[in-house]
Amino acid sequence: MKLTSFTRACLSSLFQPVLHLNRRTLNCASSLNPQIPLFLRPATYKSTISDLRKWHIWAKNLASSVGSSFLEIDNGPDSILLHRELNWFIEDAVEKPSALSNSGNGIEVDDAGLVSLRARLEELYLLWKQRIELRRPFQYLVGCEHWRDLVLSVQEGVLIPRPETELIVDLVSDVIKENEELRDGLWADLGTGSGALAIAIARILGTSGRVVAIDLSPIAVGVTSYNVQRYHLQGKVTVQQGSWFEPLRGYEGKFAGLVSNPPYIPTENITGLQAEVGKHEPRLALDGGADGLNDLLHLCNGAASILRPGGFFIFETNGERQSMFLLDYMETRLKGYFRNVKITSDFAGIKRFVGGYRT
Amino acid sequence: MLSLLVKRSSFLSRDSFFKSCRNLYIISSLAQQSHSFSTSIRNCSLLTSDLSFLSKNYEGLSPNFLQRFDISSGFLWGGVISSSCRRLLSSQSQAAAVPSTSDGLTVEDIVANNWPILDENESDWKSHASAIAQSIHLIKKRLKWKRLLVKLEILSAQLDKADLWDDPVLAGQISREHGLLMGKMTDVKGFEQELLEHIDMIKLSREENDAELESEALKALLQMRRTIKEKELEALLAGEHDSCSCYIEVQAGAGGTESLDWASMVMQMYKKWAQRRGYGVTVVDEMPGEIAGIKRATIRVDGEYAFGYAKAEDGAHRLVRLSPFDSANRRHTSFAAVAVIPILGEGFSRVQIKESDLRIERFRSGGAGGQSVNTTDSAVRITHIPTGITATCQNERSQHQNKASAMAVLQSRLDKLEMARQAEINAQHTQSLSENSFGNQIRSYVLHPYRMVKDHRTNHEVSNADSVLDGDLDDFILSYLSASLDKDEDDM
Repeated sequence: MKLTSFTRACLSSLFQPVLHLNRRTLNCASSLNPQIPLFLRPATYKSTISDLRKWHIWAKNLASSVGSSFLEIDNGPDSILLHRELNWFIEDAVEKPSALSNSGNGIEVDDAGLVSLRARLEELYLLWKQRIELRRPFQYLVGCEHWRDLVLSVQEGVLIPRPETELIVDLVSDVIKENEELRDGLWADLGTGSGALAIAIARILGTSGRVVAIDLSPIAVGVTSYNVQRYHLQGKVTVQQGSWFEPLRGYEGKFAGLVSNPPYIPTENITGLQAEVGKHEPRLALDGGADGLNDLLHLCNGAASILRPGGFFIFETNGERQSMFLLDYMETRLKGYFRNVKITSDFAGIKRFVGGYRT
Repeated sequence: MLSLLVKRSSFLSRDSFFKSCRNLYIISSLAQQSHSFSTSIRNCSLLTSDLSFLSKNYEGLSPNFLQRFDISSGFLWGGVISSSCRRLLSSQSQAAAVPSTSDGLTVEDIVANNWPILDENESDWKSHASAIAQSIHLIKKRLKWKRLLVKLEILSAQLDKADLWDDPVLAGQISREHGLLMGKMTDVKGFEQELLEHIDMIKLSREENDAELESEALKALLQMRRTIKEKELEALLAGEHDSCSCYIEVQAGAGGTESLDWASMVMQMYKKWAQRRGYGVTVVDEMPGEIAGIKRATIRVDGEYAFGYAKAEDGAHRLVRLSPFDSANRRHTSFAAVAVIPILGEGFSRVQIKESDLRIERFRSGGAGGQSVNTTDSAVRITHIPTGITATCQNERSQHQNKASAMAVLQSRLDKLEMARQAEINAQHTQSLSENSFGNQIRSYVLHPYRMVKDHRTNHEVSNADSVLDGDLDDFILSYLSASLDKDEDDM
């Protein structure tokens, strides 16, 4: 009991300066005005049901015209997937989406015979055209990504969180189940992007657990701050702009946990990426240098100094080659700093994550 | 004289009823049991506290009359009794004498008398009484009355065990099931009681030449005749899991695009049927065909008695038509297999799934994954290694939700398997657990050369095939349910 309150006092004193620092960052973030996801915008635009149907048929035909051509070019989406995205697009854009389904019984239409939309019909045309012709990612179209049980705001300039990364939260959850001290400790998410990991981890930490979310990109900081507010986690997650460990200087050996999904794609692979990724997502969040390991190695070295004894880290990697390399690096070059370093595979069976404990 | 008693008893307000029995009974779930509640209001003057008053002031009541209110045990036939009271009283209630009118007429007597049942508009009490008694008889048959009483006895005995709550989950299940069956039993007893009361009233009003009372009683009898018809329907859905939500799965048979299209027509039929009934419909899993239709699909149907109704659809459905996918426009026969799986809900699952028995895979993984790929497809396939049963969900927008959704499907599939295994052990083969195979053909939909939908189990048929495909399935479902429940008299 005594120990716990002591730890808590220590942590809160640690956390204060971070919070303090952050005020500056938050102000700068709010001036960026992060975009509001489509589904959260007011349904103030009107369209006749027949015009909306016309748009729907046009959009379906456009999706069908793709066939498997994108799939063959760069492993992009096929028609089946695009049709599913179209349904989600309607879910987000039309106030009463059943207006377009066969079961539509007229209640979706107001007295003037109009349906309510969250964007102008012309914008819906424009957005869907962008989806197909420019291969603009679906998540940027609707301004959000459903990730775990969260709906996160995303926009150009911020990496769209990937399904694989969800597993990091499960792994952290397993770790803190067995370790109360980590549950109520201080965690860091470096290169937070939309804030996905920081927010999901904040939601599974104990009452005195805190997360610092850091990103170099001002857009990412703005979007993360917005997402943190949406989940009412301002008291638990601090958002900071900066490069990797820089904003944490002075907190060496204090962190209970460290997570990161840093850029890890080798530079030479960037040009061949699927159009949705290569043409639209921020290179800053993707390009990991010549072998893709620049930032991962930096994180490994930093983990050795930032984590307290018993602290846990987990990083996402490009796959088997990088994971094996990091495992070997930590066991040889950083010998003695870490224990129990393990590789975990994602659901596609790719060796995706490297995690372990500070000795 | 009795008419006075009746007036006196109906004069008692709800409040005084509550007051008089507050210490004896806990009133629960009034909303559900409003019907039996009204009966109990009518009976309330006979509660112990009022009893002395009655017998003091109205001497000369027929002993039969008093006896049928079962004063000695204080049991209220149509009453709302707390589960603890039920437990104490259940054994007595089952042993209690068969209720009858003041001159000894029982419900079974009325059934046996076979009085002609005339149109509702005919003011003939015997016709009404006969119709009501037939309905009660049918309800009992549908509830498998004898089996229900035995089951109740067993459950009561289990509830009385001292170590019951050592296993809270099991105890919860037992007491819930006990409560459910007890409710059904008291409902039926309430109907019998009500019928006999009305008859008593009519006889008495005739003796006393009270035309007003007679017409009131006749009205009440007619009202009862109407409401009990609805109860007949409800009794069709008295199976253990009938009230659950469910999954409906459709799988296309062999035969190319034509049969894939048929599978999607069948799925559409169920979506529309469910929407008509006001159920929530969610697509969980859908595997589209290359040109048209679906290879298979699973929808989740949420709502009261979704499984009770939909279970009637389990089996193979056959389509005969000129195929729009055949360049020569020839006649084709295709099949679609339908499986209906109840969702038992938390705390009711039969199978505890071990995490270590599961293999979870990305359903359509492409290339390097991770940052290199941006796809909105986050479908997962979960395999239960010991049984080989799999479940997939791809219609949720996050992998986490797809996984949760697939887990729920897997749980229900394993539960169904376990129930089938149990049923085999008990040698109680029920239709709802029939093999989901194309061999078990339950219905044909013929669109050419003539138009007809025919159920092979009941021979129910209609010529308006379009309306059936548009979700108008209730007649098929109800005729099947009544046919399967009403055939045997053994359980009466």
